[in-house]
Amino acid sequence: MARIRSSRYYFYRQSSTRGILYILLFAGSAIMLLPFLWMLTTSLKSEAAVLQMPPQWIPTEWRWSNYPLAWNTAPFARYFFNSFFMSAMTTIGEVIFTIFAAYAFAKMKFLGKNVLFTLLLGTLMIPGQMLLIPNFVTITRLGWLDTYWALIIPWLASVFAIFLLRQFFRSLPDELWDSARMDGCGRFRFLWRIMVPLAKPAIVTVAILKFIGGWNAYLWVLVMTNSELMRTVPVGLKSFSSEVGTQYELLMAASVLAILPILILYFFTQKQFIKSFARTGIK
Amino acid sequence: MLRKITMLTLIGVMLFGMAAFAVEINFWHAHSTRHQENLQALVDAFHAEFPDITVNLTYQGGYGDLEAKIGAAVVAGGLPTVAQVYENWVTPIQEILYPIGNFMTVAEVDDIIDGLVSSNTYNGILTTVPFNKSIMVLYYREDLVPVPPATWEEYLAMSAALTTADEDGDGYPDFFGTGFRPVNPELFLNFLENAGGSILNEDWSEVTINNSAGLIAGEFVEAIAPYSFITNEYMSNHFPLKLAMFVDTSAGYYYNNQAAVGGDVVMKVARVPAGAVSQGSMIQGTNLAIFDTGDITKEQKDAAIDFVKFLIRADNQVFWAKRSGYQPVVKSAYETQEWIDYVAANDY
Repeated sequence: MARIRSSRYYFYRQSSTRGILYILLFAGSAIMLLPFLWMLTTSLKSEAAVLQMPPQWIPTEWRWSNYPLAWNTAPFARYFFNSFFMSAMTTIGEVIFTIFAAYAFAKMKFLGKNVLFTLLLGTLMIPGQMLLIPNFVTITRLGWLDTYWALIIPWLASVFAIFLLRQFFRSLPDELWDSARMDGCGRFRFLWRIMVPLAKPAIVTVAILKFIGGWNAYLWVLVMTNSELMRTVPVGLKSFSSEVGTQYELLMAASVLAILPILILYFFTQKQFIKSFARTGIK
Repeated sequence: MLRKITMLTLIGVMLFGMAAFAVEINFWHAHSTRHQENLQALVDAFHAEFPDITVNLTYQGGYGDLEAKIGAAVVAGGLPTVAQVYENWVTPIQEILYPIGNFMTVAEVDDIIDGLVSSNTYNGILTTVPFNKSIMVLYYREDLVPVPPATWEEYLAMSAALTTADEDGDGYPDFFGTGFRPVNPELFLNFLENAGGSILNEDWSEVTINNSAGLIAGEFVEAIAPYSFITNEYMSNHFPLKLAMFVDTSAGYYYNNQAAVGGDVVMKVARVPAGAVSQGSMIQGTNLAIFDTGDITKEQKDAAIDFVKFLIRADNQVFWAKRSGYQPVVKSAYETQEWIDYVAANDY
């Protein structure tokens, strides 16, 4: 005969399980938040206190002046504008081009579709560093060096995004197109009125990943720009490091400012953020 | 009234003329943080002295990034007017450089430190000029090293005495007597030179590292290695907690001193210990090169000559050296009262 347990037993069991879970989650969160806490406190320290041992978790001397000092070390206002402009333009552009390309590969039939898609996927195997010099030569010969064209145009398409959205479009039933066509709907209208709204989660994923990628872009911007006015925030952060030393307190202050837009984006799009990363398997 | 209008018109024409004839040159450099501030100050002073020349100072990242950008620009175009370069970057691109020496007087060339003239001369032509040159020095904690080692024997003995055991079990001493940065063959050259050796013979036709001097240098390095913290990272990240003294570039003085202040110790600086034959230090740092490509005008090249000469002028080299830890590259700088007073006031 099965043992009958009291409701109090189940309550305690559930509470203790939940308690252990919360402790583990709290510990994990603390570990993940530690680098951000360190960044924040280091941004408020003096130069000498940064490398002090044992480390100061709470600064003994609060240097709020590190922020205006970091801001004025390089034209960060311009850098932020460039970062935002470049990220926004590439995001908008990539979303538009990705929708078209993904739909074509998912739902349309044309000669060489599979071969073309395979070739596209093949380009994912080429390390970006190998393409840097050829791309630099191409950009220079186009006369785009040190211009927004170089920062934006090459990034208006992404094979990874096309693949991601194509897979999502393929999951939508073909009957939708059949019934839409019977009602006299054309391809373009079907795409934007029916497919795109249904694919909103995947499109948001593409957009968020692109914006973050554009915001964090360093090597491409460094190579393709020569003047300070065209640089972006990640390149600007290099201003605090040299061959012989780094001004960590200013670097951390500038880094705090640099991640603020992404943090704001995160707070407004939390659910989509988490779903995006879960969908792509990227941590 | 007519006179006023005429004067104003003439002033306007003059200002327009100056603007119209103002020359703009681009200077690619690899200085960030404090060095960039000091470089900007020099450029501002240059603008005050040469109002018809504008220097666009552009930071291109570290030396590696700068080399990559110059290399890419050689292929694809878009080279600056002036750039910092290392000697080995110049060797393959001599043909597209404007030989600065051809536009310097004999007195100006003689004023450059002797060894730096030869290292900037290619095929008999002074093509580039030295700019930011540092030397290797010995930084040490005064509390642990009251008197810095003067010879290799003292250096080895002190390093061994100050190195502690491996108590945390990571396979390395918990505290090192000494340290070296960076980890590259250049550091060994210092030991080789001080042992009386050289990698190449006089006419560079033969490798001479495998002789008695090379052996002495190699044996010294082998002996001191167990007591040495060797890294490519900033020494300021590890000093003073992890090591009592270390050899590093003089250009890192500010950052190393900040680490000492943070660690509540007094840091001093001394010459690198003497080997069997000499007590020299290798000289690191870059030179200035002017590019001579089709898209750079004669006026820009002439303006660049003025700029380069300004940067290596004695008073400006003293200004640069006092604030950076680099060493003046012209002999006359060492004879200025400002430098003499500075050295007297700063024992390092």
